[in-house]
Amino acid sequence: MREPPTVVIVMPAFNEAAVIGTVLSKIPAKIESFNTISIVVDDGSIDLTDEIARKAGAHVIRHMANVGVGAATITGLRAAKQLDAEIIGTMDADGQHDPAELERLVQCLIDGPFDVVIGSRLRIPSGMPLSRFAANLLLNFVTFVVYRKIVSDSQSGFKVFSKQALAAIDLNSSGYEICSEIIGEIYRKNLRYKSVPIRAVYTRYSRAKGQHFLNGINLILGLFIRLMRRT
Amino acid sequence: MFLLVSKVFALMLAAIVFAKSYVDFRSGTESLKVFLFWTVTWGMIVVIALFPSIIDYILSLAGGRGVGLGTFFGMAIVFLFFIVYRIYVQLEQLEQKLTRTIQELALRDDWRSKHSEPRV
Repeated sequence: MREPPTVVIVMPAFNEAAVIGTVLSKIPAKIESFNTISIVVDDGSIDLTDEIARKAGAHVIRHMANVGVGAATITGLRAAKQLDAEIIGTMDADGQHDPAELERLVQCLIDGPFDVVIGSRLRIPSGMPLSRFAANLLLNFVTFVVYRKIVSDSQSGFKVFSKQALAAIDLNSSGYEICSEIIGEIYRKNLRYKSVPIRAVYTRYSRAKGQHFLNGINLILGLFIRLMRRT
Repeated sequence: MFLLVSKVFALMLAAIVFAKSYVDFRSGTESLKVFLFWTVTWGMIVVIALFPSIIDYILSLAGGRGVGLGTFFGMAIVFLFFIVYRIYVQLEQLEQKLTRTIQELALRDDWRSKHSEPRV
């Protein structure tokens, strides 16, 4: 008998034991007619992230060392492909994204129909610290320079992909630059995409876990190295 | 006195680099090309440290009065930057290989055993 189609949620996580259980518990068991499966890619955490995620019902894949959020996302997307997922979502494990909004993103993907739907924090920036808002605008600009594609939130980790889109895109970033690389792939593969406003939850914890100034510098450097390699 | 200390220091560094490079070459962790590169590079450094007047000779060959010591050091800095660039590139390649290995192992050990067949 054919199993019902699934939405697979990929969540890269590094030392998120404090919040990952709560985040996973909020992921709906069913979205539309799809069953939901959560995959947590534990990127070499030294706390109990993997154990807590397992107890919360997620499938856990563990990197034996910390190799970066991009690499963890790619591992999770490869696993989702192996599960033959119909729709694949990615979201942060630090509680910045509200799992209740998954349904709206998936609905938008189906209704479009679109290949990729990006949750944009910058379209409802209330609550976002000014420094982070400015940094995101700068990174939107850098993404545009490197990939020639302007989107409202190039650094959002909250996205959903169709099965076909996931098969088409080719990713190899290890770090935070994966978000911009996905934008580049949308452009190169001519995928249909839409930005949907989402509300980002900024707690003291998520602010501490998010991107820092040095990460931003590394990200910009990584993007320019990619630009040089392409030319 | 300062010149003597510099010469001894250069000789000591060269001896350490050569010994380390030779041991790595013998054990097979370093290629012949890399071993020869470091041997020749540090050999040149030792020669210049022992006979600094060679710089004057090179400068006179390179263009007479027009070429100053600044030009010579400028070229040395460019050379050092080239080496730093090569190290950076190789480090990045190594990091990529490490990442791919960790990903493959994670998917093989944690995942493939449980989900070997895709759903139909």
